[in-house]
Amino acid sequence: MIEFIDIHKAFGSKQVLRGVSLEVKKGEIMFIIGSSGAGKSVLVKHLVGLVRPDAGRVILDGVEVTNLTEEEYYPIRKRCAMVFQNSTLFDSMTLLDNVALPIRKHFKLSLAEARSEAKAKLALVNMDQHAERYPADFGDGMRKKVAIARALTLNPDFVIFDEPTTGIDPISANIVDRLIRDLSDRLGVTSIVVSHDLRSIFGVADRVAMLYKGQFVLDGPPSLYRETDNAIVQQFINGRPQGPMEV
Amino acid sequence: MQALSPLKLLSRFGASFMEVAQDVGGMAVLLYKVIRCFFPPKLDGMETWRNLYKVGVKSAPIVVVTALLTGAIMVIQSGALVAQFDAFGLLGWGAGFATLREVGPIMIGLMFSGRVGANNTAELGTMKVTDQIDALRALAIDPITYLLVPRFIAIVLMMFLLTIVGDLTALVGGAYTGQVLLGVSPSLFASSVIEYIKLEDLFNGLFKAFTFGVAIAVVSSHYGMTTSGGAVGVGRSVNNSVVASAVLIFVLDYFITSILH
Amino acid sequence: MTKHTQAYVAALSPTQRRIAQLGVLFVPIVTQVTDILRVGSLAFYYAFKKPIRWREVVQQSFFIGNRSLAFVMIVLGFLGMILIFQSGFQAKRIVGDLQGMGALYLQLLFREFAPTVTALMLATRVGTGIAAEIGSMVVTEQVDALRMNNAEPIQYLVVPRLIASIVMTFVLSCVALCVAFGTGMFVANTVFEVNVATFYNTSLLEWGDLIIFSLKALAYGITIPIIASQAGLSAFGGSEGVGTATTMAVVNASLAVTILDFVLSGVGYIFFFS
Repeated sequence: MIEFIDIHKAFGSKQVLRGVSLEVKKGEIMFIIGSSGAGKSVLVKHLVGLVRPDAGRVILDGVEVTNLTEEEYYPIRKRCAMVFQNSTLFDSMTLLDNVALPIRKHFKLSLAEARSEAKAKLALVNMDQHAERYPADFGDGMRKKVAIARALTLNPDFVIFDEPTTGIDPISANIVDRLIRDLSDRLGVTSIVVSHDLRSIFGVADRVAMLYKGQFVLDGPPSLYRETDNAIVQQFINGRPQGPMEV
Repeated sequence: MQALSPLKLLSRFGASFMEVAQDVGGMAVLLYKVIRCFFPPKLDGMETWRNLYKVGVKSAPIVVVTALLTGAIMVIQSGALVAQFDAFGLLGWGAGFATLREVGPIMIGLMFSGRVGANNTAELGTMKVTDQIDALRALAIDPITYLLVPRFIAIVLMMFLLTIVGDLTALVGGAYTGQVLLGVSPSLFASSVIEYIKLEDLFNGLFKAFTFGVAIAVVSSHYGMTTSGGAVGVGRSVNNSVVASAVLIFVLDYFITSILH
Repeated sequence: MTKHTQAYVAALSPTQRRIAQLGVLFVPIVTQVTDILRVGSLAFYYAFKKPIRWREVVQQSFFIGNRSLAFVMIVLGFLGMILIFQSGFQAKRIVGDLQGMGALYLQLLFREFAPTVTALMLATRVGTGIAAEIGSMVVTEQVDALRMNNAEPIQYLVVPRLIASIVMTFVLSCVALCVAFGTGMFVANTVFEVNVATFYNTSLLEWGDLIIFSLKALAYGITIPIIASQAGLSAFGGSEGVGTATTMAVVNASLAVTILDFVLSGVGYIFFFS
């Protein structure tokens, strides 16, 4: 289980998170939505220690991770993987080596063994036939799939997806959605997905929490979002430019 | 450009001082973190070899060309002086001494800073703004051990080795120019080098080369890792990196020169 | 190599192939040099065509001149001290007499160190600055936007920087000369007890020295912005492209300065000093 307790975070003079609290149950697929710049990425980066809160606590599976040092965070990061918004593959390596890198570093396997493990992970996302090519040869969608494969190499219990379907074609988006669903159903992986892709939200999410102006305005199953009379939520869900939301 | 009141000037000065202090502090911390990885030695062998190869291959041609030209230029300049005083026997000493102790390490250092330092900053900077550094951290891979230490070793080692090669090349270039321009035979050149140049001169220059290598490695890595602001930020970081390296080379050179006397 | 070339090379005999590999090394060099000459000649062509954006020239002069002033002064200040330190000790050891040091030093500053070291420093600062600026504009498609508005990039971007650089490189070289001489005099006085009046000795200066100084400063002032602009204009591919362009600018500009130094020093020697 994951708990965010009253998180405050500012960057310079900009107050991004104003006391957010959230609970994510094991095996759940939790979507965090909101307009661009609302603080969604900032919030989830707290889980892996890439951002530290100004105030508040972060608890991962009973362990308080709020004030851990960089080194103390390493075992946490092996359990909680993150797939970034940009596909953040390492440009200087082949797709295969990209996926093999964490395997090499964390398991005592030879280069050949690590590479075959990596190939298996690439097969999970249907990218194994391109193993020897470089990230620059591919578009965003395929790079994202490889980034997901790389994140799964350490067999994490928790995975954070930062806008996994933004900017990729509908077919690839569907594949990514089904992968997230699969991870939860078959492997019991807890997923936190930052997104504003409505199709994913209503297709895959178990629960959805919406961030607006640094706080959660709604937190519940997708059906709640269709039925609520919260004007801000309705405006966002229906994509209306006019309304109480300041965009 | 508005007129600056004294108070404004002072606050501007203070602000740039703080910026410089921040950079210097950041570099000191980086140097400390890198050195800590040597005791006990934990480094990524594969990455170290890869960087050694890359740095060597990238910088060798330009160092050789620069060294040849520098040796030639030193001879041309000393040649004018030597002709003035009719002291051709001193040509080898004049050109050789200055090359080994000063001009060699400095020129090679500057070229190295441009070729390797700028490249290093650009690479690390691009990785930083495309979140690849964060991706490493999220995979529980320490960027210092994986990225910085191999580059550090490669840069320092290569700077040292290439200065040796460069020194010799410069002397060769100088000897040839001496022959062509001044009619000084290479054997006369060589004998004046051997007679007047001491091994101490060579080691002096090599010690400087080592220090410059450390400076370039630390400065370029620091500016690379602290890049922000997309493509524009990368350009800015490279700019700051080469400027800081150049200043540091001259400042260090002065202090080493005065201390070692 | 392109696939076409690869297939061609694969069909050659082993010796032919080895020669072809050498050619591969030369192709990028030749391409880059021709591109630099292209940018350079276009820049000169447009420099004599109205209108010239004088406002931009002034602004660029500020960037190149004022922003580099402290940097150049610090570096040349230290260089002056280093040079006098070294030559002082060596002169003491070999010749024993330090009276002529000031005159010789001044000569060397004019002929070599002031213009060239200034230029090397400008190649790093201004070279990367211009390449980064223009490179960012290229990868964010601002240069394309310029073309759409019928503003020729070389006329619009390169010419002002060229003019500013020519003037500022000369000015900064003069400043460098003074600073290096000043700090050298200081060291000669404090460490070697050479009288200030003795050190300030212009008796060895000839017209040739001044001419070579000016020629070098002029040549460097022309080359650096052209090379840096060419590097910036050939950037592609986002932040990685800007990084590559800036590195290329500094390397090419430094190398060009060194080559020009060699050529002009040789010319100076042949015409004036032998």
